[in-house]
Amino acid sequence: MIKIVKRDQPSKAIFFFTPVLAIFLTLIAGGIIFYILGFKPFEALKFFFIVPIADKYGFSELLLKATPLCLIAIGLSFCFKSNNWNIGAEGQLTFGAIVSGGVALLFYDQEGFYILPIVILAGAIGGMIYASIPAILKTYFNTNEILVSLMLVYVSKLILDYLVVGPWSNPEGFNFPETRQFSDSARLPLLFEGLRIHAGIFLALAAVVISWFVFYKTYLGFQMKVSGFSLKTAKYAGYKGKKMIILVFLISGACAGLAGVGEITGPIGQLHREVSPDYGFTAIIVAFLGRLHPVGIIFASLVVAITYLGAETAQIFMQIPKYTGQVFQGMILFFLLASDYLLFFKFKFIGSKK
Amino acid sequence: MNTNLKISNVTKIYPGCIANDNVSLEFNSGKIYALLGENGAGKSTLVKILSGVVIPDEGKIYLNKNILKLNSPSDAKKNDIGMVFQHFNLFETLSVFENLIIDSDEQRENLKEKIDTIMKKYNFSVDLDVPVLNLSAGQKQKVEIIRCLIRSPKVLIMDEPTSVLTEQETSELFLSLKKFSEEGILIIYITHKLKEVMQLCDEVAVMRRGKLVSVSQINNENIESLANKMVGQDLKTIKKKKENTSSEQLIKITNLNFTSEDPFETNLVDINFSLNRGECLGIAGISGNGQSELFQVLSGEIISNKNSIEFNKNFIGDLNPQERREYLMAFSPEDRLEQAAIPQMAIFENVALNNFKSSNFFNNGLINESKIKEHSKKIISEFNVNTDNIDLKSQFLSGGNLQKLIIGRELITSPDLLICFNPTWGLDVGAINYIHETLIKINEQNKSIILISTDTDELLKLSDKISVIHRGKLSKIMNAEDVTSEKLGILMGGGN
Repeated sequence: MIKIVKRDQPSKAIFFFTPVLAIFLTLIAGGIIFYILGFKPFEALKFFFIVPIADKYGFSELLLKATPLCLIAIGLSFCFKSNNWNIGAEGQLTFGAIVSGGVALLFYDQEGFYILPIVILAGAIGGMIYASIPAILKTYFNTNEILVSLMLVYVSKLILDYLVVGPWSNPEGFNFPETRQFSDSARLPLLFEGLRIHAGIFLALAAVVISWFVFYKTYLGFQMKVSGFSLKTAKYAGYKGKKMIILVFLISGACAGLAGVGEITGPIGQLHREVSPDYGFTAIIVAFLGRLHPVGIIFASLVVAITYLGAETAQIFMQIPKYTGQVFQGMILFFLLASDYLLFFKFKFIGSKK
Repeated sequence: MNTNLKISNVTKIYPGCIANDNVSLEFNSGKIYALLGENGAGKSTLVKILSGVVIPDEGKIYLNKNILKLNSPSDAKKNDIGMVFQHFNLFETLSVFENLIIDSDEQRENLKEKIDTIMKKYNFSVDLDVPVLNLSAGQKQKVEIIRCLIRSPKVLIMDEPTSVLTEQETSELFLSLKKFSEEGILIIYITHKLKEVMQLCDEVAVMRRGKLVSVSQINNENIESLANKMVGQDLKTIKKKKENTSSEQLIKITNLNFTSEDPFETNLVDINFSLNRGECLGIAGISGNGQSELFQVLSGEIISNKNSIEFNKNFIGDLNPQERREYLMAFSPEDRLEQAAIPQMAIFENVALNNFKSSNFFNNGLINESKIKEHSKKIISEFNVNTDNIDLKSQFLSGGNLQKLIIGRELITSPDLLICFNPTWGLDVGAINYIHETLIKINEQNKSIILISTDTDELLKLSDKISVIHRGKLSKIMNAEDVTSEKLGILMGGGN
């Protein structure tokens, strides 16, 4: 007989085991879906998860996709750890891309080492400005940050649309909805000849290190932890709640903005309608799959990045719609939430007595 | 019809502790039985066994001479054992009626009739159509009781039912329980409140460390004898020495008002009082009359007009709790698990919640873990917290030990004023005694206390001055010697 028993205390091991279990279950469920669709499950999974990263180019693509996911998820974990539900990272990314893109366009016909730092800074500031809107509305007008940050995503996408079609569209671009190409000085340097992986990955790695330090070694990290467990306790301890809400939103916005910079000054090189394939939303899954832990987030971003690549490969080689990638992302989150049950309960096998 | 419930040689062992050690008890209908014991004495385990939540390792349970197989809560229901837990199991957003019928297979109309009959018979007045979240704790409990009564139970088990009730609701509950008992329902009443046992029950079984210590008629017992059985040692009766307190004023509250935007909170109206060094001001009242708001205003969780609070000749009404701590105030909130401490964090992390500039817990924004740990060890040894592992998550401390940790954390910095709110709520006699002794000691060190409490005995024991809060207004401040519990009772009810 199997009995479900409440755990006294979730162990550290189970805390990191459940994400692995979730990924495993996702693979099984994915295989079943492929089978129902009429594909050989193992072959399909191979095309989805192994073929895309089997060569040097594929691996570079993996890191390319994982970079923004990791960066945004790190930023989001500042919010999520302290009980602030910023789900508008996609908007902050877009607005960061708009601001930094605008600055890059100012310098479109210039060269100089100073251009890139200004562009990067502009992106971070853009993201911060955009994230400050839900933060200020929450602290001073008691609005719900989930709704505000989400709705602002669509606003930012429409602003971008307007800009690339209207005022910022390339005058020599035959009315295509895109801006001029940025000058080379405004582009993040490539790491290897012929591969698309760019210097933005260092931004992500720096964010990992800094966030680890802040979370576990600083007073701010301690305050975030307390607020995450109980806002009542944070108030009782006398932490300045409003200040912290604004601060974590700014950090989160800056990270998303930097991810936007990485995209437009890295692989894209200009502004157009689709600067991000929903990295801002997918990063929410990454943050939770990585348990809001900086190192966990690195692994989670790699896993989730594969679903982007796999979807493309599967579309090309097997004519499976690329939206399967989103199905997989959804399944990961679904199974993660389900296997989190194991954090609080365990199965006990009881032999029949006597 | 008579009901006989027999527990025979029940043993339940958890890793590291024997929760029930060969317990045998017999109950007969027509009487109200008390099951008395400190936290962790094994009462809850025994009750869980009776309600099918926990399966005993050994032993049997008989109902009217038939062996009961209780493998799940539904087995208990089938065998007419009803249970009202300390924490309500209700769906907050569903209406009262929906909550009542949710686990029943009977027809709606039949049930409606049945519920109406029950409510009329026992004089319960609960609106069936409002959502449960709008009910008071007492009304929610009535819903739970009605839910049991629908099944016409033979046995009704009440687990610490009065911990959330006001005095008035408590006496209403007692009337109903006596009525049930007269109608032949066997009632088992679990508590650690001695006074209630004396008021309500006919027979009392005392448990200590998993063992049954005694079974006796209530007529042969008194509060002291029961307390001694429960704790297992003779309790010192503590008395406050009446000394000449200094006349140096420490805190003065002037025309303090608080108007809440939340309809569920109480507004505070024109609060005025002052307190000298070395004195304890007790604030009595039925819960929900503004105590929580008063505590928050005093602690700085709610900020008020700068000049409304004068402390040590400084005006501090506009400071937050952390800033007030720097002026040597300390706070112990009512809710240990959700406010005063964080159960999921380690003991030493909880110690760091009370952060002074001079404590150096955080230097230049960085955590100074060794400093915090050193400080935590000091608290644990000075305040008798029963553990030596400061990395332990505080959820593994018993209520009493957690409260000692909290009081210790607040007191180790030797503040001039401690403001505490129901500091002994839900604790066992041993821990209550310890906390009371500690509070008396700091008064003797010429430090002051504001004690907001719903426990009248505690207030009369510890206070030098007493005031009553009713609907957000304070009564005039009285000397404790001139106050009786009857007088407090009248004021608490809004009389003069």
